[in-house]
Amino acid sequence: MDTPQADFGDFYRRCKDDCLRTVMASVGNRDTANDLVAEAFARAWASWRTVSRHPAPVAWVIRTALNANVSRWRRRREVPVPDLSPAAEVPADDSAVADLVDPTIMAALMRLPARQRQVIALRLFLDFDTARTAEVLAIAPGTVTAHLARAIAALRADLMPASPQESSL
Amino acid sequence: MTDDKLLTLVRESFSAVRMDIPAEHIIGRGQMLRTRRKALTAVAVLPVAAAVLTVIGVLGSSGGQAPHHPAPATLAAWTVTRHADGIIYVTIRELRDPAGLQRTLRANGVPANVVFLGHSFTPTTSSTAIPRSCRAPHLSDKANADLQAKIMPQPGPFNPISPGSIILMIRPSAIPHGIGLFIEAYAASPGSQSGQVFAIQTDLVQASQQCTGS
Repeated sequence: MDTPQADFGDFYRRCKDDCLRTVMASVGNRDTANDLVAEAFARAWASWRTVSRHPAPVAWVIRTALNANVSRWRRRREVPVPDLSPAAEVPADDSAVADLVDPTIMAALMRLPARQRQVIALRLFLDFDTARTAEVLAIAPGTVTAHLARAIAALRADLMPASPQESSL
Repeated sequence: MTDDKLLTLVRESFSAVRMDIPAEHIIGRGQMLRTRRKALTAVAVLPVAAAVLTVIGVLGSSGGQAPHHPAPATLAAWTVTRHADGIIYVTIRELRDPAGLQRTLRANGVPANVVFLGHSFTPTTSSTAIPRSCRAPHLSDKANADLQAKIMPQPGPFNPISPGSIILMIRPSAIPHGIGLFIEAYAASPGSQSGQVFAIQTDLVQASQQCTGS
């Protein structure tokens, strides 16, 4: 029988990348997403006895990460201390982020309203259905459907302005 | 292009995004959260021990002066100094002895819950890490932020004086009765000297035996 730590480790390794992509697409920043997801997984481990029995632990993690992002901006004040060590003098490599995701696509996502971004990210990277998405975001299923349709339409207009209008959904 | 193809295009554009934090690091952070939660609970059931620690803290930091005006308390890891204008300057150099700092702040009229975290995450909020019973009551987010700004005046509540150290200014007279500070400092960023302060974040909590030990 797996130990809780091994069980959590397996869960983390299976889900971490898709969770990061989901949150990154939602918040628009790789580093912030990385911190939020790491913190959410840490909290999941801190409450693993409960979270492991959740019907969808990954949904718990995502909701925790997204809620933390809201709280982050509303409540906490944080100021990093400038690190003046030689290693810190190397400028941040913004191109590294741009290399990860096509800037055009990232920009199109960022032009969506936040809720639409969250809905489409949950569908894209975690394959959440309408009911699960509604549960994570605490909104009505009908609202999820509407947000998804609007998000797809907006992305299509943004990314494929000249393409013929087709729809398979 | 069909919707499916559009979604696939967006999905695949994120394929290079990967989380590279090892599971062991996450578990270590989770253990700290558990420990903090247990510690806060333990304070509630050990009031006598907490009171003893408070007395020791006052004596150790006052230098024989009245507890309301303690002399500077200097430790290698951090320093607490009260200036003539009443503002307290907390300089944190290393993430050691958070309980001692908490006691010294309390002796200087600042109910606080001090947490030092030995990992290198850029701080994110951990509102759920503060027990619900300790969250500052009856404050909207804006009121919370405004009050923090009064207690820890901007600009420059956090003033770096040298690499890896930080100064936090606190105005005790601005702290309402029943309110305490939550101060969480994080360890150095990867590649920096171990134990250096990397960042600090603050919030408000209830000032109580359970939450701040006061």
